[in-house]
Amino acid sequence: MEEENQKISLLVEDISLLQNYIEDLFNFLPTPICFISPRKVILEANLAFKEISGYTTEEIIGKSIEEIFKKEEIESLLKEASEKELVKEKETVFITREGKEIPVSLSIKLRKSPEGEALGYFLGFFDLSQIKIVETQLREKIKELEELGEKELVLRIREIAKSKDIERKVEELEKTRKALMNILEDVEEERKKAEEEKSKTLAIIQNFVDGLLVFDKEGKVSLINPQAENFCKLKRKEVIGKSILELSQFPDFKPIAEAVGREMKGIFRKEVPLRKDFILEVTTVPIMREEEKIGTLMILHDVTREKMIERMKTEFVSISAHQLRTPLSAIKWTLKMFLDGDLGELTKEQREFLEKIYQSNERMINLINDLLNVTRIEEGRYLYRPVLADIIQICQSVIDSYKEEIGKKNLKFEFKRPKELPKVRVDIEKISFAIQNLLENAIRYNREGGEIEITLEEKEGKIKFSIRDTGIGIPKDQQHRVFTKFFRAPNAIRMETEGSGLGLFITKNIIEAHGGEIWFESEEGKGTTFYFTLPVASNTNVGTI
Amino acid sequence: MDQKLTKELAQKLMEFKGEIRGIDIISDGDFVLRNHGEEALKKVEEKLKEVGFPIEYKKLKPMGFYPGGLKALSLLAIKEALGYNNEQIEEIGKAAPRFSLIIKLFVKYFFSLKKFFFDYSPKIWREYWTTGEFVPVELNEEKQFATVRYQNFDLHPIYCLYLKGYFTTLTKLIIGAKKVECKETKCTFRGDKFHEYFLKWE
Repeated sequence: MEEENQKISLLVEDISLLQNYIEDLFNFLPTPICFISPRKVILEANLAFKEISGYTTEEIIGKSIEEIFKKEEIESLLKEASEKELVKEKETVFITREGKEIPVSLSIKLRKSPEGEALGYFLGFFDLSQIKIVETQLREKIKELEELGEKELVLRIREIAKSKDIERKVEELEKTRKALMNILEDVEEERKKAEEEKSKTLAIIQNFVDGLLVFDKEGKVSLINPQAENFCKLKRKEVIGKSILELSQFPDFKPIAEAVGREMKGIFRKEVPLRKDFILEVTTVPIMREEEKIGTLMILHDVTREKMIERMKTEFVSISAHQLRTPLSAIKWTLKMFLDGDLGELTKEQREFLEKIYQSNERMINLINDLLNVTRIEEGRYLYRPVLADIIQICQSVIDSYKEEIGKKNLKFEFKRPKELPKVRVDIEKISFAIQNLLENAIRYNREGGEIEITLEEKEGKIKFSIRDTGIGIPKDQQHRVFTKFFRAPNAIRMETEGSGLGLFITKNIIEAHGGEIWFESEEGKGTTFYFTLPVASNTNVGTI
Repeated sequence: MDQKLTKELAQKLMEFKGEIRGIDIISDGDFVLRNHGEEALKKVEEKLKEVGFPIEYKKLKPMGFYPGGLKALSLLAIKEALGYNNEQIEEIGKAAPRFSLIIKLFVKYFFSLKKFFFDYSPKIWREYWTTGEFVPVELNEEKQFATVRYQNFDLHPIYCLYLKGYFTTLTKLIIGAKKVECKETKCTFRGDKFHEYFLKWE
């Protein structure tokens, strides 16, 4: 009996110790935990639960769980726990004794008897207040960053924000918050730098001698500098936000708008006479960010003075050339008389000298003629008379006049053409001059015994002319200058010291004035082929050059 | 009821036949400690010592059995040492189920009020006491009242007050009622054959 009593006493002691152990463990847990009956009455709550709720044990035990959570939410969660036995990390609101609402992540475990009867629920939750604060701060930072365009970073943060692992999320959010703060500091610094740069750029733009207008992606004016306002008699507040079409309503901008067109595509440059004695060179350049066009810059450069000087220069050349041609013509005819023997017999030596003087005089007359042609082109006075003509005949006529020259250089010459071609409406004299220039170059810069081939054909409603030689060719780096005034390639100068460098400039102007196109292919040391096209007569619409 | 705690009374109470679980006496000491602190508890312990039964509440074993008279002695010592009135004694009874391990063990029977009332509540009594009988008399869930009684148990009227508080809280815990009223309608110390309590809840 005594032995049994001893055993019972030991068991009682064990149970007491076990109770102490459970109580210590329960109260040690930092997570608020409680146990509620199936009727939702709180029967047990640990220290953390009491601390966060503000209730004493006497107050909390026996209280309905619906008094400390939002009723509808907790009811729904308990129902879910009854069905699934476990509900994990559901966000809800916990209400303290003072009525303060705390966002929490709540987990519920259904407690069942061995027979499967519901005995109650264990509830545990995690205070989300700090996370919510961080989230709010984060959202604000995200907003700030979004405004700054840090999209990639924002996506990363959102990814973290979606994470289900709350602890990791808190940690990552904290890290991200710190990183964001650092980034924001950097961004702020960069913003200040950018602000300074912007101020500098604005100062340059404001004081720039050229007029500047910036059009945004939608083609609306976003910036105009004082010089542009002055050129076009515009006021900043009247033009900001307006399209080029709307700007065309301003009389002093209308010529520019008409020249540029509505869309402002690609790079554009044109001289636009804005008013009497006021000419602007208008340039539009797309503003690109990587592959995307983000706007257009319009530069208005005052070229009035340059144009005036150019005109004066042209007038000077014209007058000078005219003044020079008269005595040169007198010299020519006097020399002709000497050489024809009209003024008596000449010795062999005298004839040789006079012939050289005559040739030099001829070259000077040709140069003067070229200069006069150029000044006429520049002044828009290169008038001509278009007539219906047979291009084969014109070519043949030019070729015939150069047969001797071709023979002297032993050139193999070929003229390829169909039996007949549609008529072209051309100024025969000017077209002959253009073909003559091309043929002369083919002969002059060809090698001894080389080849020349002229081809005429009809292609796509156009007459296509080509002249191929086997001469010195044009160096690659000089090819872009071929049609400019006074240009002569270095290898051409070395081979033939004479030449004005005006022939191809005049030729290009003649062809283009007929509505045609001119171009060439060349390889240094192998030869050159020049091409031009002329519209056939029915489509020809000619004017002046 | 306002009987003064003397050595003679203490001696008489200690002659009560039957034992009680230590946890029910410990809960008295815990109540004093929670509400008044160590000094107050010492005062109570001094009072007990004074009447010849020195008890140190902290040394009692929750699941151990002690002479039943100690429960009445404990309540009377608190009443005298701290100047408690009847309502305050009831409060000790109200607090006890909230901390009771026995009640926690019986939680598993709370799922059905009827089953708990008729089948398990007598067992709770037996978890505490080796004497007396607890009798569930009537339960009306619809009208929200119940009648219980205990019999063959005449400890001291102070324990009647304590039980009034105890039944109040226990009903709250089981039913989840916000308001519970408990009234001792019959009492052996008033000439009845048993103690009877009427419980009404909302």
